[in-house]
Amino acid sequence: MTILKPNVAAPPIGLPVRRRSRGQTVVRWVTTTDHKVIGNLYMITSFAFFMLGGLLALVIRTELLAPGLQVVVNPEQYNQLFTMHGTIMLLLFATPLFAGFANALMPIQIGAPDVAFPRLNMLAYWLYLFGGLIASAGFLTPQGAASFGWFAYAPLSDVAYSPGMGGDLWVFGLALGGFGTILGAVNFITTILCLRAPGMTMFRMPLFTWTILVTSIMVLMAFPVLASALLALGADRKFGAHIFDPTNSGAMLWQHLFWFFGHPEVYIIALPFFGIISEIIPVFSRKPLFGYKGMVFAVIAIAALSVSVWAHHMYATGQVLLPFFAIMTMLIAVPTGVKFFNWIGTMWGGSLTFETPMLWSLGFLTTFLFGGLTGIILSSPPLDFHVTDSYFVVAHFHYVVFGTVVFAMFAGFYFWWPKFTGRMLDEKLGKVHFWMLFFGFHATFLIQHLLGIVGMPRRYADYLPEDGFTLMNQISSAGALLLGASTVPFLYNVWKTYRTAPLVETDDPWGYGASLEWATSCPPPRHNFESIPRIRSERPAFDLHHPEVAQFDQPVADKNVLDALLGAPDLDEDGQGADRPGKSMGAGDEKGDRR
Amino acid sequence: MKRRVLTVPGAVLFAVILSGCGQSAERGYLPKGVTDQSERIISLWNGSWLAALGVGVLVWGLILWCVVAYRRKKDDVGLPVQLRYNVPIEILYTVVPLFMIAVLFAYTARDEDVLMDTSQKPEVTVNVVGKQWTWDFNYIEAGTYEPGGQILLTGKPGIPETLPTLYLPVNKRVEFVLTSRDVIHSYWVPQFLRKLDMIPGKVNRLQLKPTEIGVFEGKCAELCGVFHASMLFRVQVVSQVDFDAKMADLKAAGNIGMLDNSLSREALEPGQQQFLPKQGGN
Repeated sequence: MTILKPNVAAPPIGLPVRRRSRGQTVVRWVTTTDHKVIGNLYMITSFAFFMLGGLLALVIRTELLAPGLQVVVNPEQYNQLFTMHGTIMLLLFATPLFAGFANALMPIQIGAPDVAFPRLNMLAYWLYLFGGLIASAGFLTPQGAASFGWFAYAPLSDVAYSPGMGGDLWVFGLALGGFGTILGAVNFITTILCLRAPGMTMFRMPLFTWTILVTSIMVLMAFPVLASALLALGADRKFGAHIFDPTNSGAMLWQHLFWFFGHPEVYIIALPFFGIISEIIPVFSRKPLFGYKGMVFAVIAIAALSVSVWAHHMYATGQVLLPFFAIMTMLIAVPTGVKFFNWIGTMWGGSLTFETPMLWSLGFLTTFLFGGLTGIILSSPPLDFHVTDSYFVVAHFHYVVFGTVVFAMFAGFYFWWPKFTGRMLDEKLGKVHFWMLFFGFHATFLIQHLLGIVGMPRRYADYLPEDGFTLMNQISSAGALLLGASTVPFLYNVWKTYRTAPLVETDDPWGYGASLEWATSCPPPRHNFESIPRIRSERPAFDLHHPEVAQFDQPVADKNVLDALLGAPDLDEDGQGADRPGKSMGAGDEKGDRR
Repeated sequence: MKRRVLTVPGAVLFAVILSGCGQSAERGYLPKGVTDQSERIISLWNGSWLAALGVGVLVWGLILWCVVAYRRKKDDVGLPVQLRYNVPIEILYTVVPLFMIAVLFAYTARDEDVLMDTSQKPEVTVNVVGKQWTWDFNYIEAGTYEPGGQILLTGKPGIPETLPTLYLPVNKRVEFVLTSRDVIHSYWVPQFLRKLDMIPGKVNRLQLKPTEIGVFEGKCAELCGVFHASMLFRVQVVSQVDFDAKMADLKAAGNIGMLDNSLSREALEPGQQQFLPKQGGN
């Protein structure tokens, strides 16, 4: 095996944090075009926004502890809080976090030295950073930040109803940041299509890379619509254009444009995190991903359906074709179900251990499942009419989005921390972090379903003592406190790891890593690989580290109609593995049972 | 043995949930419905939840089973069978959900047709107009109106008695003609179990028949600006006699005609005017 890495002791030149003065590090990070450093910048920035958005949420939950205004001075401030909470979490945390993980991992997973356009990559990050800072700078203006809700329904978002610079900063800041997302997506698509290593066929790409490809295509469909809608809204606000004037159907026009962006956006922030889960579960089940191709087709099906369901956010407007959007929305349950059963199929018959990344993945599975089920309820207009715009919807989308983005983010952090930094996060603190967050989350949001069903509308700064909402709100707020506090063990873990954890010496500290990032050092060198192992299945690193398994790991030659329909796994290819040892072995030996 | 320890409190909890809120559980914890459509909505709600929770319990069960049955034991060595796919079972869990979706959609389509039907001639028509941050009620047939005044929330009891009130006769098919004077609002009476938006420039219509006499709370459910949370009202469903008396009172107070949509900050779209009811009805 001449392709084995000659030496693992290569200095980690990818992350120049050691033995540099602080100024040198700053200059290096600010001027970098290294996709790994840009990935770190994305993740650090978006995590900072995550904590800011979380603080806003804690103020919101504190305000709702009792009837009457205790924390905010007036309801306008409350509206600013939830507007910026939603904006920050969706557009300044979750979306760029996808770009962060994609930058940090995708080029390594396909065996590329960097992304296709490194400088465009850096430009995209700076557009995001300054767009995000501009959008949230409204808090520093005299009238405060935008307060028309994160979906900025016209005509409330027009200057006649929401004057003030906060709204202008919000509109133009998000438009600027949106261009960063679009440029990033172009970069990811080009990288995946053009820079794959020899042997890395499309059907050998890790599922995370697949989700990045599909997500980036969705970005190209959704974000230009948002950008044009925002610029049109900006023209209304600053130049007195009448694009969203209600007399010209502007109120509905905005909703259509916004949700044509908004619903794919939900999947833009969900799919990459499904990808992360699909990477983690096989490693800790010590099995390949079950139904890899089904999983790929499910991702594509979700993406395709997601652009035809936008009006399910608008059932209660009375202005949309209900049956069409209902059936399309319900159909999304099918590929999502396929993904669930494939994750379960991966664990089925496996040999499971529960290190922190796996724990977070299981937390994701159990949490996101309930969000999916309430999504089915909401997809039916006769049921949606009652609970839409109530706390039921708030609970639903927190189960979906928090369940996906945050659980999978932490799963990814614990899983790839050695790849990002060269050190392993502390397992014990990670478990404390997980259980605090898990119970905090469910205490906060499970009760909110009931709160919505019995009649509490969302975005209410206040409620009446007679409403009977007080106890449920207090339970929710107590959970939120625990949820917020769970960040403390994580931050302590990061600090402790940075100070005391030993450097990881091996390529694959988890032992059963599948994709190519586990076939290079922790962290990888500047251009990612000293050498690339031969890629002959969707698990090149696993094949490298467990050659005794790979030797027998071939598709079984009993092709029937169903195989022809769906296709066998892309394990080998004529010419690629012609010189492989044990080629003639396989079915018929003592392990021939495996497929 | 260990498993039994877990199931006993679980069963007790389940029994408490079932018995403790009998009435409320029967309608899936929804507010008590008070219209001719409530039973339909509650039955779809309960059926959908049973199916959804059935799927949920199955999938949670499978996850839990994997965690318990396939955990790596201390003396485990080597690797499990490297199973990659199983096409029949993959097709099974793609096709079965399709049938479940088809059933849900059939019931959904059946019920939404009924709920959205406005083809019948209503016995009472009310033009409910949303405005920042209260409501105007135009009683079309009676030729009278009542403007709402803005409420300030204090955090103290006693607000509901001061809210603007919409009067409706019991057991009469009512058409709500929903319009907005400024931004988008949403007309929600939780005990009607449905809501419909009021969109500036548009006319939305909604028909139902209140079947119970009583006072029900109503709310604006779409963010409409600073005092969104105080855009509350009440619906008082009364007998026909009481309703007529109330209409006469309003007229006697000088509320003749209607506060029509020409008073709005945002004009109706061209073509929407035809959907507005004419004063005097019929």
